[in-house]
Amino acid sequence: MADMSAKIVKTLEHSRQLWTARYSPCGKFLFAAGYDALIHRWDVSTEEPKLLEPITGHSGWTQRMAFVGDNLLTADSWGRLIAWKYAAEKPQPAWNLEQALGGWIRGIAISPDGQTVAVSGNDAAVKLYAVADGKLVGEIGPHPFEVFSVAFHPDGKSLATGDLKGTVRHWDLGTKQVARQIECPALYFLDRIQDSGGARHLNFDSTGKQLLCGGIKAPTGGFAVGAPLLLVIDWDAGKITQELEHEDKNHGYIYDAAYHSTGFVMAATCAMPGMGHLWFWRIGEPKPFFMSKDVSNVRSLSLHPNGTRLAVVTVVAVNGNGKPKGDKYVDGIAKIQLMDLA
Amino acid sequence: MSRHPLCIPHEHSFSRRQFLGGVGASAAAAAAMGTFGGLVQPAVAEDLKKREKQVIFIWLDGGMSQLESWDPKPHTEFGGPFRAIPTSVPDIKVCELLRHTAKQMHHIAVVRSACTQDNSHSAGVARIQRGDPKNRGVDYPFFGGAVAKLLGPCPGGLPPYMWVKPGSGGFIHQDGGFLGAKYGSLALGDGKPPESLLLPPSITATEDTLRNDFRSKLNARYAAKHRKANSEANSYVYDVARELSRRSDLFDETKVSDRDRDRYGRHDLGRHMLLGRRLLESGVRFVKVNSYGWDSHGDNFNASQSLIGKFDQSFAALLEDLSERGMLDHTLVIALSEFGRTPRINSHVGRDHWPEAWSIAMAGCGIKRGIAVGATSERGDVVATEPYDIGHFFHTWFRALGIDPGLEEYDNHGQPLPIAHDGMGPIKDVLA
Repeated sequence: MADMSAKIVKTLEHSRQLWTARYSPCGKFLFAAGYDALIHRWDVSTEEPKLLEPITGHSGWTQRMAFVGDNLLTADSWGRLIAWKYAAEKPQPAWNLEQALGGWIRGIAISPDGQTVAVSGNDAAVKLYAVADGKLVGEIGPHPFEVFSVAFHPDGKSLATGDLKGTVRHWDLGTKQVARQIECPALYFLDRIQDSGGARHLNFDSTGKQLLCGGIKAPTGGFAVGAPLLLVIDWDAGKITQELEHEDKNHGYIYDAAYHSTGFVMAATCAMPGMGHLWFWRIGEPKPFFMSKDVSNVRSLSLHPNGTRLAVVTVVAVNGNGKPKGDKYVDGIAKIQLMDLA
Repeated sequence: MSRHPLCIPHEHSFSRRQFLGGVGASAAAAAAMGTFGGLVQPAVAEDLKKREKQVIFIWLDGGMSQLESWDPKPHTEFGGPFRAIPTSVPDIKVCELLRHTAKQMHHIAVVRSACTQDNSHSAGVARIQRGDPKNRGVDYPFFGGAVAKLLGPCPGGLPPYMWVKPGSGGFIHQDGGFLGAKYGSLALGDGKPPESLLLPPSITATEDTLRNDFRSKLNARYAAKHRKANSEANSYVYDVARELSRRSDLFDETKVSDRDRDRYGRHDLGRHMLLGRRLLESGVRFVKVNSYGWDSHGDNFNASQSLIGKFDQSFAALLEDLSERGMLDHTLVIALSEFGRTPRINSHVGRDHWPEAWSIAMAGCGIKRGIAVGATSERGDVVATEPYDIGHFFHTWFRALGIDPGLEEYDNHGQPLPIAHDGMGPIKDVLA
């Protein structure tokens, strides 16, 4: 098939920085969350998206969300996990766990059968909760370090976790034991005393044969410079088969990645102002076939169920030392770019 | 006219004779005691407790985010992801990244209203560590050099100003500023002693004595033809090395318990902070413990989790140990960086440099315990109470050490110079 590209067709602005935006499975809604802890909603069933009243209930940063059935699960940096009936006019929590984890929830994943949500976090814990009622149904560990990412294998029997040091662990969900470890040392660097990098993102392809593990190559402290790096792992062999490495070392971290239904990989990267893009890469090829010049500082991407539109979170947040003259001194903003694939 | 910087009115001369006298006394004590491992010699410890003030100055090169440490603003515009947690002092909360230190808060005074001048590294390091006095056309000593000058060495005979740092070591004469090279720091690169510290096995004690006598004669010949300050500094470095060679066990990490290594952390900052405690116990007047890489322009919150977590672990262990040993009564503990970090979070999830409103922590002798002084605005972008520049802090610390900047001054070859910014005064709310 011909290579795809993405073109901005609509921009939704928000006055604070956002971490993520996700289309609902029904395709009618777009939800977004970030630094203000609110869950923002748009009805996107019409040509002009309609902003709905935000949902409250979180604190700190709300960074992760996932859909399962008619539930939206949202997680924040204070350890709270909430399930919402997302399509309600004014969604209320179906259940609400104040301390699903002991701190910042970094990863969230839904089991293939839709029964279980896994969350991972800075407290080095991974916990499993029942989607139906929020009851704790299992713990996966121990982990020696922060667990930045988590993903269920499509067979439902295994779970992958990614940690601060770039170690991917394969957990047998039956025994709750580590089946094996896959080391991704390129994603971690001890810069003086700062642990830098980590396996920030994990997701399987639909067959479960490939696992994507994202972060930054040879990360540094300070400006956190490095080339965005997405590792393609052959799951059966437990080996890295390709490094999808951005050619520019100033484009920071992989913040989000997903497979398009036609097989290529979409990735979002973000770094200093103006750095970080949206790119599409066909696995096996030496470089991406599409790199958007229209967006920068990309924090997340979400493919609409119709497969033709992306919601891409970008941020505009200046840097600089000291207090700027005449500046109102406010947080950066977010622009959710709705991009059509063609 | 004096050729040397002097204190007025109290003379704290730091002569080679006195220094060597101290060396001799401590050497005799050490010989009587055998090795003393991580613990201070009891006689020295008692003496220190009674009358000697010491300083440990923890320098986080760059900027530690005040919002992720001493002055959290959870769930606000610039507050970031972390929570505030209670401490051992009711009404004082700190960021959750300081979970160990929170239990030691009853020892600590934190000033949340620091407002300094420089937002660049090139100027910030020197200005902060010199106390940013008014420009008098001279380079002021760093704080360690000033304390070495004003209080002299402790009786144990070790160098008055030692700097535990990552990377290379050596004698850093620049820290002495106009006071002269003698008041520079002896830097222990990666906490290790200077190269060739130990006497080679092939040299006997008698040969070493003969060698040293010969060196002394050469030094005397050199001194006769050069400025006294230069010749003294020259001899001083060698004397320091000789004294340290008698204390080589200080650098033997096998003498440190596993428990202490775990408590402080086995990372560089933990190892160096633990060595800092041992140097204090052994009678070093001023210990600077230095950590580099505090500059999270990108990925600040993961960086803070890693960096502040390590600071927290080692700082809390240090305070606990100094308190348990009764050393906080005579030891001033200071933890600071060049500046704070911007409340605003940039696109790379980083915080940049922010001298406008940040925090400095201290504890120990002359300092009130378990207080938070000053405040920033609700958003943390400005100081909401009286702002304090680094000059105010230097006044405060000198007074905490029993030095009155209103009475003491330097004599720079006849030029009287204030020891701290003469337009500022102490932060009275902090002083005990």
